Amino acid sequence: MMRKFFAHRNKKKTSPLMQRMQQSQIPDQELSSSVKENLELFRTLLGNPNDLLIRSFLIGNSNHLCAVIAIDGLVDSAMLHTQVLGRIQLMLSIAEKTVPVEPDEILSLLFDEVLSVVEIKKETSLAAAVDCILSGDTALIVDGTSQIILIDSKGWKSRAIEEPVSEGLVRGPRDGFTENLRDNTVLIRRRVKDPNLRFESMVVGKRSKTELLVAYIENIADPDLVKEVQRRIATIDVDEVEESGFIEQWIEDDFLSPFPQSNNTERPDKVSAALFQGRVAILLDGTPMVLILPVTLGLLMHSPEDYYERWIVGTLTRLLRYLAAFFAVFSPSLYIALVTFHPGLIPSDLAFSIAATRDGVPFPAFVESIMMITTMELLQEAGLRLPKPIGQTVGIVGGLVIGDAAVSAGLVSPVMVIVVALTAISSFAIPAYHLAIAFRMIRFFAMFAAAIFGVYGVVLSLIAILIHLSNLTSIGHPYLAPFAPHMSKDWKDLILRAPVTFLKDRPEMLHAEDEIRMRTGDSK
Amino acid sequence: MSARTLSDKMLSTNHMGINITSVMIGVGILTFPRALAKETGGIDGWISIVLSGLVAFLIGWLLAKLAARFPRQTFFEYTSQIASKPVGYVLTFLVCVYSMLFVSFEIRAIGNIAKQYLFYNTPVEMITLSFLFVVQYAMAGSRISMLRLNLLFSPVVLVVLFLVLLFTSQLIEFENVRPFFSSDWQSLLNGSQAVGLSYSGFEIILFYTMLMKRPKEGTKAMALGLFIPVVLYLTIYIFVIGVFSAEVVKNLTYPTIDLAKEVEIPGGFFERVESIFFAIWIMTIFDTCMVWFDIAIINLTSMFRNVKKMVWILLLSPIIYFIAMLPQNLVDFFTFADYVTYYGMIIVYLCPILLLVIAVIRGVKGHE
Repeated sequence: MMRKFFAHRNKKKTSPLMQRMQQSQIPDQELSSSVKENLELFRTLLGNPNDLLIRSFLIGNSNHLCAVIAIDGLVDSAMLHTQVLGRIQLMLSIAEKTVPVEPDEILSLLFDEVLSVVEIKKETSLAAAVDCILSGDTALIVDGTSQIILIDSKGWKSRAIEEPVSEGLVRGPRDGFTENLRDNTVLIRRRVKDPNLRFESMVVGKRSKTELLVAYIENIADPDLVKEVQRRIATIDVDEVEESGFIEQWIEDDFLSPFPQSNNTERPDKVSAALFQGRVAILLDGTPMVLILPVTLGLLMHSPEDYYERWIVGTLTRLLRYLAAFFAVFSPSLYIALVTFHPGLIPSDLAFSIAATRDGVPFPAFVESIMMITTMELLQEAGLRLPKPIGQTVGIVGGLVIGDAAVSAGLVSPVMVIVVALTAISSFAIPAYHLAIAFRMIRFFAMFAAAIFGVYGVVLSLIAILIHLSNLTSIGHPYLAPFAPHMSKDWKDLILRAPVTFLKDRPEMLHAEDEIRMRTGDSK
Repeated sequence: MSARTLSDKMLSTNHMGINITSVMIGVGILTFPRALAKETGGIDGWISIVLSGLVAFLIGWLLAKLAARFPRQTFFEYTSQIASKPVGYVLTFLVCVYSMLFVSFEIRAIGNIAKQYLFYNTPVEMITLSFLFVVQYAMAGSRISMLRLNLLFSPVVLVVLFLVLLFTSQLIEFENVRPFFSSDWQSLLNGSQAVGLSYSGFEIILFYTMLMKRPKEGTKAMALGLFIPVVLYLTIYIFVIGVFSAEVVKNLTYPTIDLAKEVEIPGGFFERVESIFFAIWIMTIFDTCMVWFDIAIINLTSMFRNVKKMVWILLLSPIIYFIAMLPQNLVDFFTFADYVTYYGMIIVYLCPILLLVIAVIRGVKGHE
């Protein structure tokens, strides 16, 4: 249903998209053959900004006027001096090489012999030239010809490769993606030396012109999957794309679902592992968050550490995580259900002591839980926003308020505090932050159900959640695979993590072209 | 869409088997020991279970054969092809009525049992209504996702059942089980009929074969789908009789839930396990319920192609709810259940077998 909606939405937008493309684009115009006119063109188009570098000079012993144009800060100025300007001056002026008279020949001479830069191209269109200059190229204009040379001289300041903040591990590589797309591809290439690794380049955002790469390994990844991802990205019609979250929200299957339908990570090891499984990664310039598609609920419950540690450890941690997921969603609702509707289900001694602690509490269990869980959410949000040194204070204040003061004031019962603590800790144990948020949202739904129908309501809410999950897809792949549809092969790496020698196949659900990742039989 | 992703959207043979099992395990399994103990008066009821199991398999095999003859056709299409369009319309309509009555029965059962084991003040009307809403939600999604829920729920239910049996095994008293082979044939046959009533569910093969990857393997799915419930029925019956004795079982409304009542979890973490047991059991009743609802919708949409699925869901729900609220008390309710099953026997067992005979004689075959 959602996909139909998705297709419909795109169909409607196609024609206005074309119109708007023409409006916001630079006039499709050829460059002039005069340097002065060209410079004027660039100046007016860009609004003559103060970071526009223009250097005009006469070439060699001829009287041909030339100019270089670049944006200050986007280009590596040392490289510009030594490799471009320096080379032109040295080779043509001092070496007294004869400079041809024809402007086109000068251009070819510069292009073929003088400039010692790897990435270099000729261009005649104004729009393309401006695009390149804005993304860090240097333009070289020669008087008398409408062709210009574009030299790749990108070199801006970027953050160093650091340890990923949002996904810390005890064991595993320490490097994380940065905001620089090139660094990120390097981090992946260093892990994937397969010649079949593909980075399909696309540009998103009509005004921001952000570069986007669709990464996959050809002859592992299902071609249909790659095609579908590219098709969906091509439908993106926005002015600017700041973060991969924009992409995620544009291409997801169901925008009403609380569950994330793609994984995002700043860990290159996670991305390369996903690529080798036959998944697709989307890298976006300007953000360290890389998207992995398609995902399943099972995948989101995995952490790379499961594979780095021995299989027993990996398996037990996963079991623990599934338990945590259950607690994160259902512990407050079970508390409400048991205390309000079925005190008979609790052993009598415990039931009495709970009743005794709830004696002075003026609110029903539901109100009590909503109060405490909301406070917990507030603390979590506040702790996130505050600078690190103050963040700790919030922890202490929150701990005191939740833990002690609320109980002494008689607002909540001590058992409630235990439930809230259990819930909060459990939701932190979920490896994917966006999945943990989904669980936090469903928690309220389950609490309402429990407040109305007790344990019956909790089971109904569980059924409703499972119905939703069963209908959910990620790029057309069932979200609950391999639970349902059942794929027995994939169960080896689901709740349990079988010893590495057992993990011989790629996930069945991805329809990988090369399904086998280990040929232990051959090596014997 | 590639062939591989398309085949993801179809039912494997095992999945079909699990579907049959999920539909068969519902309310019947909670009540059947009472009826069986009444008829046979003792442990001999197991013979009735096996007997009726064999009959069920025979019927199921014939139904699977019929459906596999027309691999990609709906029930309406192939009945029309075998026995003319008007007959197709009438029969399909009667099947819709049957499946709707079944849904009504299941949701009312949920209301009754929940009232008995979980709630004291909440009215049955509300319990039933909320359940129906969740069923509607399941209906609103895609058919294959709905059927996949069976894969999720059935293992949970089986594990819980296994645990209950594990914890009650020490309570079995040999005295209760004896005497063996004391019943006459007449009572065993009556017992078979009593169990047979709670076996209904395997006829879904008539409607879902068209979604199978390999429709020819319908009989295999039937064997798997019937084997699990029959074994469960056997074990549960032996346990129930062993723990309570036949005399007591005759007077229990839901003997299987009462079996769970006897469970004492070591460490005393939970009391009143029967409530937990029933809470989990809601899932399997839900399975049964949604599949029957879906069958009503499959058949209606196959007859009236222009009406959207959502319209049927919204149209049928009030009717189903209204019928579910008709029985005034438990006696009424169980009589209602028996009538539905007798009606079903004619509509989904007898008629399709007749159709198969006609199809074989006239040589009518479906297309791939």
